[in-house]
Amino acid sequence: MASQTLAPGAAHRPRLRMLSKRHRPEMLAGYLFILPTVLLFLVFVGYPIVRSVYLGFTTWSGFGSPSWTGFHNYHRMFDDTVARQAFRNTLVFAAVTTVLQTVLPLLVAVLVNATWRRFGIAARTLLFIPGVVSFVVSGVIWKLVLDPNLGLLNKLLDGIGLDSLTHSWLGESSTALPAIMVVSLWQALGLNMLIFFAGLQGIDPTLYEAAEVDGAGAWPQFRYVTVPGLRLVTGIVISLNLINGFKAFDLIYVMTQGGPNHASEVLGTRLYGLAFGTTSGAVPQFGYASAMSVVVLLLCTAAVVVQILLNRRAAR
Amino acid sequence: MSTSVQARPRPTTAEPGAARRRKRPVARLVTAVVLGVVCVVIAFPLIWMVLTSLRPSNDVFTGGLWPKHVSFDAYREVWSSTDFPSHFLASLWITVATVVLVLLFASLSGYAFAQLSFPFKNVIYLLLLTTLMMPATALILPLYLQLKKFGLLDSQLGLVVLYVSGSAPFAMFLMRAFFETLPRELAQAARIDGASEFQVFWRVILPLTRPGLATVTIFQFLATWNEFLYANTVLRDPGKLTLQPVLFAIVGQYSTNWPVLTAGLVMSVVPVIAVYVWMQRQFVAGMTLGAVKN
Repeated sequence: MASQTLAPGAAHRPRLRMLSKRHRPEMLAGYLFILPTVLLFLVFVGYPIVRSVYLGFTTWSGFGSPSWTGFHNYHRMFDDTVARQAFRNTLVFAAVTTVLQTVLPLLVAVLVNATWRRFGIAARTLLFIPGVVSFVVSGVIWKLVLDPNLGLLNKLLDGIGLDSLTHSWLGESSTALPAIMVVSLWQALGLNMLIFFAGLQGIDPTLYEAAEVDGAGAWPQFRYVTVPGLRLVTGIVISLNLINGFKAFDLIYVMTQGGPNHASEVLGTRLYGLAFGTTSGAVPQFGYASAMSVVVLLLCTAAVVVQILLNRRAAR
Repeated sequence: MSTSVQARPRPTTAEPGAARRRKRPVARLVTAVVLGVVCVVIAFPLIWMVLTSLRPSNDVFTGGLWPKHVSFDAYREVWSSTDFPSHFLASLWITVATVVLVLLFASLSGYAFAQLSFPFKNVIYLLLLTTLMMPATALILPLYLQLKKFGLLDSQLGLVVLYVSGSAPFAMFLMRAFFETLPRELAQAARIDGASEFQVFWRVILPLTRPGLATVTIFQFLATWNEFLYANTVLRDPGKLTLQPVLFAIVGQYSTNWPVLTAGLVMSVVPVIAVYVWMQRQFVAGMTLGAVKN
């Protein structure tokens, strides 16, 4: 959960006045109160990021000290078919999940809004539950649902005579990543719907009344009142989903570990495998994995920058 | 867009379109049917998980959807013949410790950024907020190396430290929104009465932000209880593992014993659902506040 809409704090007082005697205890308290948070940030967020960037320019297996190899890791990514596949999958996964997880929650939020109030509240509560269970739990459930022989989905397809449609969903290259996208949507639907819902409450009801008077039906009202009224919230949902797509790891790791044959490999699973997945006796590649971390970081930063720019435009 | 954060979140039942609701019963019925179908589809995998866990172990794959008779064998087996209880407790203490520390650090710093003045305040604040966009995936390797340096690898304490440092800034951001709603005069008045800065915070201001503390508590509880990546990387000794990595690891082991596997999943979700139902209103307020504040 991140918000990129940061209003600077309270109005700045002139610095000189703060240095006066009367304000000294307040200043001291301010610094003391933020100290634990700042210290932890420096040691466990700031420094690791800097180190990651540095390690990305080195070759290192964790033994001895890293040797500086400049942009070698980044060049290597271009020639490495698995890395290219992971990069392509990351972009596809982020793009598709962002579209699905923006459009469908918006429609569901509008539906919830247009039905009986009690029923709407019940629906909202229920739809949100997949979002509060962990990635591991949802990944494992869906692994069982999609199990080729005993899974619920293939049984259902068999049951209604569509056995030609059954697949080994997570075991085939063409269906593994799409299946994970569906699970991702299943998890994210409720939360994104809630965000849209909060946005819907901010739309001035008189706009709908005016549209009603002008004889606008449900669709024009949605198109010309709801959608523009949710511009800011939509921007937030899009950037959140993009970030989650770029940094995807848990669900994919639990469901397929990037397989079969790297068909669902993304940057997150790949760098994890390079750094920690040394069960096959391979040497850990901390430098190369760090370079991939940097790529993930850049993608997420780009999503945030886009969001800030969109915000500025919407605010005008 | 509403920008005010109310100390008591409104009941989140939207009013737009209330006027239109009185008309068009047919349209509303169609809407309800569509929504009902969506709800059933979404709920189905979860319902199926519970049904599977209630099967006796000799009836795993026979018959239809419904177990022939309900049995709690799987739950008994998970609880008595596996290490589930100890992993459950490990998850619980790590989560509680994280929540307490995050509450403390985030309310202290959130208060300082909302109500106190000191040089470079805004720069430091924005720097801390960059944490919100740091993907865990990109941080995991340097963090692992960092813990190794401090001798905190394979330690539950090390995991708590990671959780607190990664979450405190977001919690601080939420808390600051709550502290901003309070007038600065409150603190001023207490200072004039001779209270120290810490007393002002602890005795006067903090009790007024209960909804904020509740929001952070629930959010942090769920996030920590469900966390998998760090837990799976930092902890190595099987005896120290928290629930999530264990659930992931046993999938292969119980690949033919679905009742036991799903019973484990269900039990791991119970605290989460309990917290969600118990404090749902705060949670919804907190989640949307984090995303929709401008």
